[in-house]
Amino acid sequence: MEYNDIRALLNKYWACESTEEEEAELRVFYAGHEGKLPADLQEAAPLFQYFNDCSAVPDMPELFTDKPAPWDEPQHPAIVRSLWQGWMKYAAAVLVAAGLLYSADSFRDKKTDAMAFADTYSDPKLAYEQTQRALQLLSKNLNRGKNEMQKIAYFNEATSIVEGKN
Amino acid sequence: MTSSAFQSLILPFRQKLYCFAFRLLGNEEDAKDVVQDAFIRVWNNREKMPELQSLEAWCMRITRNVALDRLKSRKYRITDDLDRAGEVPSVHQSPHQHAEKSDVMRRVHAAIARLPEKYRTVLQLRDMDGLSYQEIADMLEIGLAEVKINLHRARKTVREQLQNLQVYGIQ
Repeated sequence: MEYNDIRALLNKYWACESTEEEEAELRVFYAGHEGKLPADLQEAAPLFQYFNDCSAVPDMPELFTDKPAPWDEPQHPAIVRSLWQGWMKYAAAVLVAAGLLYSADSFRDKKTDAMAFADTYSDPKLAYEQTQRALQLLSKNLNRGKNEMQKIAYFNEATSIVEGKN
Repeated sequence: MTSSAFQSLILPFRQKLYCFAFRLLGNEEDAKDVVQDAFIRVWNNREKMPELQSLEAWCMRITRNVALDRLKSRKYRITDDLDRAGEVPSVHQSPHQHAEKSDVMRRVHAAIARLPEKYRTVLQLRDMDGLSYQEIADMLEIGLAEVKINLHRARKTVREQLQNLQVYGIQ
């Protein structure tokens, strides 16, 4: 390659306008050149010689010879669960559900009792009439029972007289 | 991510990560440790992988962070064993030329090592690792313009120091 071409490439190199290929050409030129260079080209020679020398990297050593590589270790050891651990879980869930149902049921009963003892009327007059009717009906039935009991009493009294007990 | 997917997607980057770490640390053993630690970090954060645009840039970034942590925590100094640069003398070089070259390489290395970290990293990624501007931007999580500015300043600083070498007749 002509020195003028190298000068042009060098100018681009110092201005950071050179491509990777052009920089590779410079490295090849300086690595392969023997003999004296013009003064202006000599300026960059040690730098490119240094780059060329640094390109020699020792062979890649084998990695993880003193300790295992983390990706070779088992990731997540399988967790073995016994059979009872499985069904105990469901049994516990069922017990909790039953407890909740029982609690809800008790709460509802208490609420119903409370309503039975609470006032349910809105019209006091109507409530009074209804109560009176209910009591009259009760009284009527009680009187009917009392009459029947009187008949039994007469019958018992007559039986005693006949037997001569009195 | 499964172990096999991780190995097929991530492990192929190991050579590139090792070269990168080696150039940052200048030591084979430390470079190996850094790559191992970086892989462990990548594995521990594998749930982030589906959200990433470039796995390679992410791995490089993690490797760089691990290497910088190591440099800071140990007050590490990159050994000036750039003798490696001259360890394999060319058959065409005389002992005098070889010694002179080693000395020049040491000075170039020192000039680069004196750069601020962000300039040095960009220079290394571009001129030694051969990454594109976009790859460097992805890896360092900065814009393309910032990559070019940092690289320009890095090259300019190194160039000035090389000119000083020549002006004072060191070479």
